[in-house]
Amino acid sequence: MPERSRHLAPMLSVAGVGLVLLCLISLLIGAGDVGAWRSLETLFGQGDEQSRFVIYGLRWPRTELAVVVGIALGAAGVLLQSVTRNTLAEPGLLGVSAGSSFAVVMAISLGASASSLAFSVAVLGALIGCLLVMAVCRLRGVGSDPVRLILAGAAFSGFLSALSGLLLLRDQRTADEMRFWVIGSLAGRPVETLYAALPGLICGLILMLPLVRPLAALALGEALASSLGHHPQRVRLGVLIVVAMLVGTANAAAGPIGFLGLIVPFMARRMVGSDIRQTLWLSLLLGPSVLLGADIVSRLLVSPYELPIGVVTAFIGAPVLIATVRAQRLPIL
Amino acid sequence: MKSMVVRRPSHMAPAGFWLLRLGPWTQLVSRRSFVAGALLLLLLACACLVSLTFGGSRPIPVKDALLVLAGQGDAVSRLLINTLRMPRILAAVLTGAALGAAGCLMQTLARNRLATPGIVGLDNGATAFAVASIVATSTSLLPSILALFGAATAAVLTFALASGSGSRGYRFIVTGIGVGAMFSALTNLMLSQAPIDAANRAYPWTVGSLNGTSAVAIRALAAGLFFGLPWACLLGRQLAAMGFSERVSISLGVRLGALRMTTLAATVWLTALGVAVAGPVGLVALIAPEIARYLAKQRGVPVLNSAWSGALLMVVADWAGRNILSPIEVPVGIVMAIIGGPYLIWIVLRQPDRRVQ
Repeated sequence: MPERSRHLAPMLSVAGVGLVLLCLISLLIGAGDVGAWRSLETLFGQGDEQSRFVIYGLRWPRTELAVVVGIALGAAGVLLQSVTRNTLAEPGLLGVSAGSSFAVVMAISLGASASSLAFSVAVLGALIGCLLVMAVCRLRGVGSDPVRLILAGAAFSGFLSALSGLLLLRDQRTADEMRFWVIGSLAGRPVETLYAALPGLICGLILMLPLVRPLAALALGEALASSLGHHPQRVRLGVLIVVAMLVGTANAAAGPIGFLGLIVPFMARRMVGSDIRQTLWLSLLLGPSVLLGADIVSRLLVSPYELPIGVVTAFIGAPVLIATVRAQRLPIL
Repeated sequence: MKSMVVRRPSHMAPAGFWLLRLGPWTQLVSRRSFVAGALLLLLLACACLVSLTFGGSRPIPVKDALLVLAGQGDAVSRLLINTLRMPRILAAVLTGAALGAAGCLMQTLARNRLATPGIVGLDNGATAFAVASIVATSTSLLPSILALFGAATAAVLTFALASGSGSRGYRFIVTGIGVGAMFSALTNLMLSQAPIDAANRAYPWTVGSLNGTSAVAIRALAAGLFFGLPWACLLGRQLAAMGFSERVSISLGVRLGALRMTTLAATVWLTALGVAVAGPVGLVALIAPEIARYLAKQRGVPVLNSAWSGALLMVVADWAGRNILSPIEVPVGIVMAIIGGPYLIWIVLRQPDRRVQ
């Protein structure tokens, strides 16, 4: 289709260039006293011991983690919006993230150690959250009203976070382990976290590939999709598994980072329209860009301290949420 | 067809109502809601007594507790009751009443039972400002005043942002959720920047707890409620006329714009009072009016009954939080969220279109 490639290619290249630039900025700028010029020298192999540690030991893993988490959350947002046919759907707002956080809290309070088990448990919790969301969507009346799904998700998240709070109260060890995890942050995660996150991300992305065309067909309606030879139920289940993998991975790696799954599809739709065959590819570049941008802001705004990144994404995402709701007619997916 | 107009003498009340007359003012009182109110107050008294005597590190016999309340009793019980348990129960009653009445007003105003102050972001606004005052300074009265500003800011933001698309329905609520998310991000931001002891001092405000409520704050709350509750009752009487369509209520002599503004102001006032003492325990404002409406079984705006059932809920939740996991104290906010969360989900999923009134 000529029209498709005409829009997509320039936008993809813009987003790609933006992502590379942001990666570079993220490596060059930080809260500490290794400035941009010294960082640049270090990158060309001339830095001293300290600046080399700052660049390769601290900023490099952090930037890569932001890229991994950004890809996962951005793609999960697009997929979830497409499968629920709801432009407000977001893993955080719908309670998928809360499900995975709660699963991790429960596992740790039952005696698991944080790093080893967290990924599989987080994915499992996210999957349960996804299935609940889908069950709610199938209820009469709720699926057709985008806003009510969000309300149910908000109620569900609130309930689960209260339960997590209860578990944390009972157990001081868990509370200490979880206190920093529940805020959501890219800073200070060990490199092993990154390696542990990669398999989940890659599996999710590979499983995603064969689902794109059926999803685009499903956007035309269930009857049309089945007459084109797709199985709506199977496609939905597949998408939910992929979303659970991506969200669980991101959650276990960086903690819950809200609103990214809302911002990225919103931007992608603005840039290339609402066809998932285009927004999904774009979101793979936009997700890490937005997250890196937010991370850079969080480092610079109150330097020498840092903001939790969830604060920054919430400040970008809440206006997007309000703007989407305020639109006269919610765009139908 | 003959029209059926039953004429009653003007001094007679319709069936099921009492007519109170005081000079030129008259007020219809539904018997059923009066009985419900009396029942709620009785239950509240029982709950307070249970909360005073049972549980805690040292149970006190009911007889001793009553003796202490009458001004006698031994020194230990007097210490336990007068300085430890009584202020806490008082705080629970007052915050519950304030939040319950606020919820009732807001639900009626927005014509949606989900539109409670907690859900549309008022609690988060008040919390953000209260935390700001604690992190920045360390006086105990300031949080209440700043919470008022916070709740007002959040209310104005939500109503202004939602006004374009019609302030009723679910869009209003989602706008409120967005505003609330921004304020809670603000709270997180301040907590992450604050020195650790200030952050610990501010922690109760983020989950909702009655632990360590200061006497000054309770006194401020009581004074505010002394004005706020009668004000809310007066407004509730006028709001009852809004149960009809807008046209009918205008022709009944209701000035809609002014009434909306004053109701919003009263809601902000009551919410801020409650949140400044107990933190964001928003679900009280959802459940209490539901109980009141269920008991009254009639159209109307049960402000007082909502206040009583809110107080009852808070006392029970606080008592449960102190005693269920006994050595550990569960903050009342968490107890409320665990009780109220499933109920909220059930409302959203099952009974979506039943409007308030």
